[in-house]
Amino acid sequence: MNHLAYSGATRETRLLQAFVELTDTLVADYDIADVLHQLVANCVELLDADAAGLMLSDQRGNLALLASSSENTRLLELFQLERSQGPCVDCFHTGELIVVEDIAAAADRWPQFALRAAAEGFRSVHAVPLQLRRQTIGALNLFDTETGPMDPQDLRVARALADTATIGILQERAIRRGEVLTEQLQTALNNRITIEQAKGVLAHAGDLDMDQAFQRLRHYARSTSARLSEIAHHLVTGALQPQVILDRQPIGDGPSPRTD
Amino acid sequence: MVDRGNPVAGMSQLRADVFAALGDPSGGTDAVARVCRACMELLHVDGVSISVISSTQHRETLYASDEIISRVESLQFTLGEGPCFEAFHTHRPVLVPELAQTSITAWPIFASEIGDLPIGAIFAFPIQHGAIGIGAIDLYRRLPGWLSEEELATALQLVDLAEVALLGRQSNGADGAILEAWLPHLPHSREEVHQATGMLIAKFSITAEQALSRLRGYAFVTGVVIEDVAHDITTRRLDLAELDN
Repeated sequence: MNHLAYSGATRETRLLQAFVELTDTLVADYDIADVLHQLVANCVELLDADAAGLMLSDQRGNLALLASSSENTRLLELFQLERSQGPCVDCFHTGELIVVEDIAAAADRWPQFALRAAAEGFRSVHAVPLQLRRQTIGALNLFDTETGPMDPQDLRVARALADTATIGILQERAIRRGEVLTEQLQTALNNRITIEQAKGVLAHAGDLDMDQAFQRLRHYARSTSARLSEIAHHLVTGALQPQVILDRQPIGDGPSPRTD
Repeated sequence: MVDRGNPVAGMSQLRADVFAALGDPSGGTDAVARVCRACMELLHVDGVSISVISSTQHRETLYASDEIISRVESLQFTLGEGPCFEAFHTHRPVLVPELAQTSITAWPIFASEIGDLPIGAIFAFPIQHGAIGIGAIDLYRRLPGWLSEEELATALQLVDLAEVALLGRQSNGADGAILEAWLPHLPHSREEVHQATGMLIAKFSITAEQALSRLRGYAFVTGVVIEDVAHDITTRRLDLAELDN
């Protein structure tokens, strides 16, 4: 419920900013991994949601997590579970918005999912399809710690953000034909693996948890105007030393030991 | 033989065959050949090759289905440029459906050198696992034209399988049954496996490939699935020194 911190005009300004930022990234030589992380962060900041995750389909029709509002391991595990069961899969297969106002009441439908979601303190969830024409390429998952439907206004914003993400994913390279879609998803999914590997490098080198490692990686990429997945690749292949990233301390953020 | 009439059943049969071949005494060579033959059958291409690449200078063609694709491979190797290198270095597939109509800036010399060969379309796919570059698959058709959407999806699944075959090949002699227990998940295995790979890179100053193979080796030796080993590493329950060679 973070958006309650913003009142009317402020929230509108932040919303506008979020869309401007997103479209800005899309015009420049952007990195889809970075854009999608920005997007899930915006969802949590601006919408009636406490956690957000974006899942895309790979070439086998399986869902894979591409961006999460937190790299917290337990949250990632919940998304992991959602590959096989839960509103995200249903949303992906039907191409329809799935609203679960009360996760506990959906325990019959998705027993494991309901259990894990409850354990993380989530009580409702919305799954918004990522669609271009009739093709569904993935779903945006929005978790809330309270029961009940999302504010209709928020839901519209969520849909608009999901549409923007879809355009971003599909336009990363000029679309020559429909086939390119599969290829781009494949590349995006492989980049995600590289980013995970890079998180591990930084986590060990700086004694950080995975979320901190990701934030440092992202901060470095942003402050050097580099692509997130390129920095990750350099780090994993040894072309960039972890200390270089660790030395670039975010402003106002002192050294912090890992918390998990 | 792959069932062409039923791609899904064909793919799972192929998967099983590749795993079986990984455990045999050929050390995975046959597994690579099977993937290549499946490319021919399922993608309606005229030729296919698989190469492992470590840099522009170091590569080895493991399989080439005919003289034309052999020539393509040796030209790329000699010139140090071509679709296969481009795919490998950009980490993206390189799809050229109309070779004659396309002006190629990434590999101009190679493009002009193969002008005499009966190649209408050429497609190159990187074989990779995150930052681990393993190699590339080259496919060609005599006639120009796109891979259909279905063929492209199939191609990417075959690339996944090639990844499994090439990574599995390094642990030759390993029991096929054990490999089968975890390899199917490899391209999209849990995040923690990738994270643990990264931690090993930082700890031992080794390559990502060595780190993954050390992780796998430890899982084999201790009889624990790789996901659980990775979980213990990322949660700092397992001392990385245990994985020191």
